[in-house]
Amino acid sequence: MAVTADGTARGRPRLPLRLGFNPTPFAVAAALLCVAPIVALLAISLGGGSDHLRHLADTQLGLYAWNSAALAAITAIGTVLLGVPSAWLIARYRFPGRGFFSWGLALPLAMPAYVAAYAWVSMTAAGGPVFAASGGALPTVRGLIGAGFVFSFAYYPYVFLLARQAFETHGTGAADAARSLGAGPFRSFAEVALPLARPAIMAGVALAVMETLADYGAVDFLGAPTFTVGIIRAWGSFGEPAAAAQLALILLFAMMLLFGVERAARKRRSVAERGGRQHPPPRLPLSPAKGWLAFALCVTPLAIGLIVPGGRLVQLAIEIEAIRFPFDALRGTLILATASALIAAMLGLGAAYAARTGGRFARGAVRAAHAGYAIPGAVAALGVLGVLGYVQQLADTGMGAAAPAIAGGGILALLFAYQARFAAAAIGPAESALARISPSLDHAARTLGSRPGAVILRVHLPLAFGGIATAALLVFIEVMKELPATMILRPIDFETLAVTAHNYASDERLAQAALPSLMLVAIGLPAMIIVARLVSANGRSEAVH
Amino acid sequence: MRIIPTIAILAGILVASCGSPDSSGDPGAGDGQTLTIYSSRHYDSDYALYEAFEEATGATVEAIEADGDLLVERISATGGRNPADVIITADAGRLWRAEQANLFAPVRSDLLDARVPATMRHPDGLWFAISTRARVIVYAEDRVDASELTGYASLAEPAFRGRVCARSSGNVYNISLLAALIDRWGSDAAQQWAEGVAANFGREPLGGDSDQIRAVAAGECDVAIVNHYYFARLMGSEPDVTEGLALFWPNAEQGVHVNISGMGMSRNAPNPELAQEFLEFAVSDEAQRFFAELTNEYPAVASVTYENAVLDELGDFEADPLAATVLGENQAEAQRLFDRAGWQ
Repeated sequence: MAVTADGTARGRPRLPLRLGFNPTPFAVAAALLCVAPIVALLAISLGGGSDHLRHLADTQLGLYAWNSAALAAITAIGTVLLGVPSAWLIARYRFPGRGFFSWGLALPLAMPAYVAAYAWVSMTAAGGPVFAASGGALPTVRGLIGAGFVFSFAYYPYVFLLARQAFETHGTGAADAARSLGAGPFRSFAEVALPLARPAIMAGVALAVMETLADYGAVDFLGAPTFTVGIIRAWGSFGEPAAAAQLALILLFAMMLLFGVERAARKRRSVAERGGRQHPPPRLPLSPAKGWLAFALCVTPLAIGLIVPGGRLVQLAIEIEAIRFPFDALRGTLILATASALIAAMLGLGAAYAARTGGRFARGAVRAAHAGYAIPGAVAALGVLGVLGYVQQLADTGMGAAAPAIAGGGILALLFAYQARFAAAAIGPAESALARISPSLDHAARTLGSRPGAVILRVHLPLAFGGIATAALLVFIEVMKELPATMILRPIDFETLAVTAHNYASDERLAQAALPSLMLVAIGLPAMIIVARLVSANGRSEAVH
Repeated sequence: MRIIPTIAILAGILVASCGSPDSSGDPGAGDGQTLTIYSSRHYDSDYALYEAFEEATGATVEAIEADGDLLVERISATGGRNPADVIITADAGRLWRAEQANLFAPVRSDLLDARVPATMRHPDGLWFAISTRARVIVYAEDRVDASELTGYASLAEPAFRGRVCARSSGNVYNISLLAALIDRWGSDAAQQWAEGVAANFGREPLGGDSDQIRAVAAGECDVAIVNHYYFARLMGSEPDVTEGLALFWPNAEQGVHVNISGMGMSRNAPNPELAQEFLEFAVSDEAQRFFAELTNEYPAVASVTYENAVLDELGDFEADPLAATVLGENQAEAQRLFDRAGWQ
């Protein structure tokens, strides 16, 4: 989930705050976290030969590229079809369940795509309830189409949240104006509200596609191998780190293009909205029949994205006889997610201060750190491995046999990789939370005798707390769901729920994978409910990346 | 509203810190009492084995699991610093990779040499089989006459055009099968076979072995290449899927290809004596039964008796006596042949 500074942050001139400390190191740290792994990847890929990449080019590379491109296209179309109409209905009309759906439709973000994949396969393969009920007429969720199905329902909330916000700020008012000029309900949506919301929708689609390309667990399980699978196979199965780094850089290039699309879309949006925020017109009532139709349209993505697969997991977890409760994995997941959320909140806040008060250098560093979200977990992990390898070499030459074991991963390496990928998710919300605090409050506090540190503690933090806590929760959820980086970097005796579920599922034992999967959803869901409600109550989705 | 996230975060920290792992004890201390096992198997039979070993010796077993290839890669990445006593992999291909990565120490044990057949252990005692798994053909009884099938070669015949299901060639069970066939027929004939099977696919390779069985049940294909225990597992857990399906033993020529799960002592084992004790315990009658009774595998020790009605129902077969080392040696070539044959 990512970042947005809302329009106000860009529109208003930055007034210098007096902090009493220099926040630039935070910005530099945040930027280094995601730049250093990429530099290491470049060094590794240039240092190794290209034999394996050539073998791949002759055999598998085309498949990876085709699957990646096709999945990106299917997910883009799917998330728009699911996210935009529901967002419009919720912004424009009154119907049964509207209040719940306005935040409830974001909840599938709590369900990792690979977990949804396990559930759907176990339902639609021979022996599953859907297969039995349809007499085998419905296809099994598998391959490219199956993965596109799973990703569309897993990531449509990105499009939904950003589109709903755009419709609520400008779309509905403009549609009213169009209606008063004689346009019908459909024309006022398609020709007025939709074009106004297009930058927001594109930003949401870019986020959904970035998540799709970063995924490993679902495409591996469903048999639609993309670049991430190629990267992990090159590294793990073939022992070719240079080829893995080369593939990683290809993927990173595509991700940066998408990231550019997302940024450009956001910029255009802030131009489109520069007219200032308007109060949306009152929502229109729907006839009971149409109201229930709207209800059905909104309940479908939620059911397919969360309720049905979640229910299947519950069923599998109950039916299985012998069960090993994954205590260690639960503990590992909570430790990693909590630590990452706290670190990200601190980094995000520090970087946001730097962006607000620092010089051009600090602001440039913050902008570099924003790009971290475009780094897929597998890529971040390989980069971190590379950085650690170089550090180990330095330590070995400096200290000889006494050098500590640094290479090969560990908890700190894992936290490093998570920050490289997710610190960006905290910087944006922290920036916009600070942007809403008027500098005149600082002056007032200073005039009344507060020291700069006290201004931060007693004025800024209480006011910005909601935004920063939202960001921290988002990082918590993302880290919990993260699979490829965790697989590559975790200390070998350190389990997480995601890894445990993946191990069982790749063993073709979905019933055993159900419990750890379900625990992931059970922890993520309350966090996601808090986030969705906070975001919804603010009437804007600035925290949602 | 703002209080909720605070509570959530604090609760998370609390839960996390209550159960922080005890980092004071160095797992590699080699106290002679804690045996650390790195395994890429996550089966109930193995948990039963660990518990039985703990009961028999009073030692504590720390089992650490990782997915197949990642296990070898992770252990190699830590250089000489990993605290493993015993390394277990699910298949011969990964045993060979671990051997190539120099992870094993040789073990000299008359007991192990006597119990484990010579074809299923490393000549220098680097590793020993604990269980075997047969690569078999599952077919739909209503659409395939058993007389159509003779051995693996049948699957490449034109008669099976559009009727064969198999998983991807990146899978190590397929790679081991082709590695064995390279030894049996030579590279050229093995590649022709792979091309013939790929041309007979009823659908592109998708999913794992269970999925191939489900695909035959669903009518997408008529025959599938799978490991026998997946079929046995489904017979036990989902008999409605396996109803109407049967298992064919490809006994022709040298016999049915069998892969092994194996174990070896880690080169850096902090507790070498305890590790050897474990290796010997794992081939005892008591331990070997677990693999047949809990995981539907065949014991590596042929003389062991077990009770498993499903395995009994599958019947007897002739196992290919090919040395398991060949499976590793031919691995890279097998992958290249698959790639060239267009088997995804």
